[in-house]
This record gives sequence, C-alpha cells and structure tokens, in this order.
Amino acid sequence: MDQARYAELFREEAREHLAELDTALIAFEQSADLTYVATLFRNTHNIKGMAAAMGYRVVEQLSHALESLLEGLRNGHVQAAPDVLELLYDGTDALRSSIDEAVAGRGDTVPVALGQLLQRLDAPQGLIASQAPIHAPSPMLAAPSEAIPVSFRAPLSADRTVSVRLVTDCPLKGVRALLVLARFDALGVVRQVEPPSSTWHLDSFDGAFDISVQTASAPDVIEAAARAAGDVESVLIHPIMARSRRDDATDGLRTVRVDRRRLDTLLELSGELAITRDRLLRLVEECDQGSTRALTRVAHETARLIGALHDEVAQARMVPVGQVFDRFPRLVRDVSRELAKDVEFVTEGRDIELDRSLLDAIGDPIVHLLRNALDHGIEDAVSRRRAGKGAKGQLVLRALRDRATVIIQVEDDGRGIDRQAILRRAQQQDIVARGVTSLDDDALLHVLAHPGFSTARAVTAISGRGVGVDVVSTRVRALGGTLEMETLQGQGTVFTLRLPVTLAIARALLVDVAGSTYALPASQVVEAIAYDAGTIVTTAARESLILRDEVVPLVHLRERFGHPRREVDSYVAVVEVGGRRTALLVDGLVAQQDIVLKPLEAVRGGAPWFSGATVLGDGTPALIVDLGSLT
Amino acid sequence: MSRTVLICDDAIFMRTMVGDILQQAGFEVVGEAETGVQAVEQYRLLRPDLVTMDIVMPDMGGIDAVREITKQDPGARILMCSAMGQQALVVEAIQAGAKDFVVKPFQPSRVLEAVNRVLAA
Repeated sequence: MDQARYAELFREEAREHLAELDTALIAFEQSADLTYVATLFRNTHNIKGMAAAMGYRVVEQLSHALESLLEGLRNGHVQAAPDVLELLYDGTDALRSSIDEAVAGRGDTVPVALGQLLQRLDAPQGLIASQAPIHAPSPMLAAPSEAIPVSFRAPLSADRTVSVRLVTDCPLKGVRALLVLARFDALGVVRQVEPPSSTWHLDSFDGAFDISVQTASAPDVIEAAARAAGDVESVLIHPIMARSRRDDATDGLRTVRVDRRRLDTLLELSGELAITRDRLLRLVEECDQGSTRALTRVAHETARLIGALHDEVAQARMVPVGQVFDRFPRLVRDVSRELAKDVEFVTEGRDIELDRSLLDAIGDPIVHLLRNALDHGIEDAVSRRRAGKGAKGQLVLRALRDRATVIIQVEDDGRGIDRQAILRRAQQQDIVARGVTSLDDDALLHVLAHPGFSTARAVTAISGRGVGVDVVSTRVRALGGTLEMETLQGQGTVFTLRLPVTLAIARALLVDVAGSTYALPASQVVEAIAYDAGTIVTTAARESLILRDEVVPLVHLRERFGHPRREVDSYVAVVEVGGRRTALLVDGLVAQQDIVLKPLEAVRGGAPWFSGATVLGDGTPALIVDLGSLT
Repeated sequence: MSRTVLICDDAIFMRTMVGDILQQAGFEVVGEAETGVQAVEQYRLLRPDLVTMDIVMPDMGGIDAVREITKQDPGARILMCSAMGQQALVVEAIQAGAKDFVVKPFQPSRVLEAVNRVLAA
C-alpha cells in the first residue's frame, strides 16, 4: 500500500483527534464531568486503531496506556487528582510528538522520557483505589533506562470488510452472528458491523452481515476464524480499501477528503480562467458591431459560468476557524499556568469560515497575540484586585464576518499598553521624532510593529509589548490583511486582524514603474491621481503631497525599486495601511483587474517590498507590492 | 484418556439424552448437576474438560452459574443448551463466558459440532 499517502491521511486525522483530546481534557479538568472521559477515550482509541493499522508501534503503545488510564477514570479505579490530570496532559503531548515522529519515519524506538511516561501511565502510584493494576505493564517497557527498539517488522494491519452468511437452518442466528463477531474481535479491531449487531435479535435478521475489521491476518486465516464460529455458509473477504474519514456515516456522506494541493491547483486554474474571461469580454466589446451579438451572448454566458465555478471552488476550500481555534485553549492553559495567572479563555465565532491556506497561516500570529496578552496584558491576581477587577483575567479570541473580510480579534481585559513608556522608548531609538508628546492607537501600533523596535526589559516589565508584533504585522500584510489595535490603560487591549476571506484571488491596481508592471492590492488603494508638482511640499526630512488639506508622505517607487527618480507624466497612487496614508509615485497606471496571488517564498528576505507575485493575462509576471512595508 | 464432561440440567431426560450423545462420542460423564449451585460446586471439584449448561434451572440459573464458573476458571469450556425463543438469554450467557450453544431439540451431529468448536477454541 501507498505508505506515504496513508501516512498523510493518518496525520491529518490524528490531528483532529488530538485537538478534540485537548478540548475535552481542559473541559474535564474544569468540570470533572466524566462524560468528557468518554470523549477522551474515544479519541484515544481511534488514534490507537489508526496507529496499529499504520504499524506505528510507539503511538499504539502510548495510546493504549492512555486508554487504560482513562478506563480507570471511567470505572472509578483512578481518581481525577491533579497528578492524574498532569499525566493525561503529558500523555497527550507525548502522543502528539510520537505521532509526528512516526509519520516522519523516526518513531521506531521508545525514547527514555517516553518509556518513563509509559511506566507512569501504567501505574500511577498511589492513585489507584483498588489494588488491581489497570493493565499488566508491557514487557517491552521492562527496562526503560535506555532506548528500546520496537520491531517494525510486524505485518501491517489493514481494514478489510468481510461478508458473512450463516446457513439457512441456523438456529438463533443473532447469537451465532455474535459468536462470529467474537472471532473477529480476537483477530483485530472491529470497526463497523452492518447491519448493526443491536438489530441481530430481530426476526428480520437473515443471517447475512458485513464486518469491517482492522487486522494483520491473511484472508485464509480470517475465513477460517469466521467458519470456526459454526453454522457459517459463506465468507467473502473484500479487497483492502482505504478507510473512510470517520466512522460516522452521516459525516462520511457530507464530506470528502481532498488533497489540498489538488484544490489549490483547481483554484489557481479557475482564477486564471476568470482573468481570461475579463480579457475575452474586453475583446468582445471592442469588436461588438452588431454582427457579433451572438458571440457576445456566448461570451457573457461563459463569463457567468466561470464566475460561478470560481466561487464554488473557492468555497470548497473554506473551513471553519474552529479548526485552528481548537488548538488554543490548551496553549492558554499552559502559558497561564506557567505565569501563575488565572485566566478565563473564551472563543467566539468558531463557525466563521476562512480559506484553508489563510487559516494555516494565521495560526502563528494568533499564538503571538495570545502569548502577549497573557504575558504582558493580563495582570496577576493581586494587581487585578488592586485595580478593582476580578481576580480572573478574561481573554477572548473572536472571529467575525464583515462583508468580504474576516475579522479575528484577540481581546484581553488586562492593564493596557503604557503609551508614554512606549513613546519614550521609541524616541530613544529614533523611531518617533523628539517633539511628539503622545501616540494614538495607530501610531502606537506602528511603533510596536517597527522591525527595529525593541522593548528593553524595563519597559516590558512596565507594559511593553512589541515582541512579536512586527512578526504578526508582517505576516498579516503578506496575507493581504491589516492589523489594528485599540488599547485603554487599565482596561485592556484588542488586536484586530482583518483578512480577505480568500487568499487566492484579489483585485489589484496594476502600475508601471521603470518599465515593469507591479500590482497594488486594490483594497488598500484609496485613489489614483495624476502627479502635479505643485502639490508637493518638501520638508527637511521628506517630501509630502498635499491632498485636500491633508499632508501625505510621498514615496518614489522608482527609487525604492532601485531606479533613478523621474517625475514626468507620473501618477500618484494613494494607499492606506492601518489607518496611515501614503502617496506612491509611479510612472503610469496600467489597469485595475483581478489577479491570482501566488506566494513567493524565494523573494522574502531579499526584497522586503513584495508579498508575492502574479501572472498577468498576457503571461508576464508581476510582483505584488507589500504596501505595509513602504510606509 | 477420554475427555470429561459435567452435564447440568434440571430434567433427567435431558441429562440422559445429552449424556448418551456425548458418551457415544467418547466422553466420560464425570458429573451431573440439577441446579446452578450444584453446577458451580461440581465444577470446582471435578474440573471437567467440558460443561453443558441448561439456561433455566432452580437455585441459581445457568447464566449465573456460567458467571461463577468462569470467575473460578476463565478457561472453562461451557456449552449452553437452550430452547428456541431464548435468544436474549443465550446472548447473556455468551457474554458471561459460555463458548457456544446448541438449541433443543438436540440433533447429535449438531451437538458434537458445537462440542468440537468449544474444545478447539
């Protein structure tokens, strides 16, 4: 079987189970409600089954040990003491890393630390109410003081579906079928039974049933086992098939798992199709002289279809933000524990959908913001009480939909950012002019996001953020989004990420600079006007454009991109990023059109002005300007 | 050495009939029990290779007897003897640890098939 493909499937599904484990674990810790143990058990059990199918012995062993501990909790042999919870957290962490190791092909030994953890899981000393061990310690772990190789030569087990038919005159068919099922239980893990065994006692049960079993046994062994149960007329073993995503049949009908790269390609293709559509429409308009009316109709119909196709494909990539949000309760718990702060973490808008690739990309920025809020924003219980607040800090992670954008907010009710401290620090570092006496929210964010801005320890202790804000800002801009911030001293801070719903296609203003075409994200372009030297004022440091009484700093794009200045027949594109306007001097305006965004990793580092690239309708490439980097 | 069997049924007729079938197949009937309590006690004393167990018996039913016997000896090989219409009880017996079942009226060939399955398991 195709190991790599199965490994990928395994990893994806295991991640879902791990996320559910994290969520349920925290819920269990907070509520001590044993129904969460069932959820924990189910997810652990699924991981175990999948790991066994893949031959990931370490993962299998670890999940088995976790399962036993959970079983102990469920039947009351183990109490939900803090030690046990810690053990569950450690076990889940170890499970996560062992899964990564296994998928990477490295998980064939039990590391020392893991061996010890397994022993703890096997026998949480003094925690077991009855003297009976939860399960016999695995002999493989007899000597945990060194790395223990686990054989990888065990045959890979696989899912098989077996159709069994009982002889017609078999008495008590339902019971006989149960005996057959018991034989399969002995062979491996039974995944599914059809019709369900709960209906076997009914008169309508005719003695024919399908069993899906995950087993390493060969077909002849399976058949012999089934027949050994007695009164079996026929055994039909179906070829090995990839298991469907979930055992949950209704879910299986609604969703299909598709390789993301395939969707990416589809989306890119349909995006290019959409651009070709625009060119076709333009051409049709140019030659629309009555005789071509039929052509016009066809072209418009084609255009409509392409638009619909593109929307549909884009929709297929949408996933609820909950998939990423689920990672965070655990993170918040761990960090707040580390900092000895009591924090209530709330997520809102988990159902809001976002393009898959965006979702992957915003995970890290959110982590930065959450950590910052916990570390610098939310105060310890003593300070909070002194400030007249509840001892428990509030941290909210929220998703909202606003027309074509999705808003992600990280809001804390902590001490807020000390504007004066940041201002002093920024002035020391010459990021802000000496004469400035106060910073509004936008200016403050601008300072925090300044790549050179560093918060000295002293500042950090007072209020300082800044660590990581530039990373967040850069990342969000690269995604075509914006970052905003509001802070109120003593009351808290809100960071707002505004993101396009989909990453792959965007409206752009194409401009000409020194003979090359560049794309400016249209969402950030306020207006484009002809250049008029009379509107320019030059101060000591910089040039500015006077635009209806507003002074807007001017940037010569030619100069930024390494060409000599030129100001003849030029144009100005006024852009706005994070509430700050900038006038960009360009040689010409080319067009406004949809472009397909292609991430451009190679450009990063070397050319800080660009966030990506696109291919224009005529096949020439164009770089996408990261407007935030110019201001 | 022939294999040993303990027959548990409150009806003499059934004990005799099952005993005949098994003796013809080479088994030695080492004990008989009329109640569940007797069945458990006899099993402890005799440790037979096979037990046939009626479901409905006075003084501890067959299912409870299965439970008690498998508690003593998880490897006990018990064959349930049931009538039609006792499906739910047979299921319970199997969950309690019985290895297989036969349904009355007994056909010698079916009984022996079931016995062989139980002993092979």
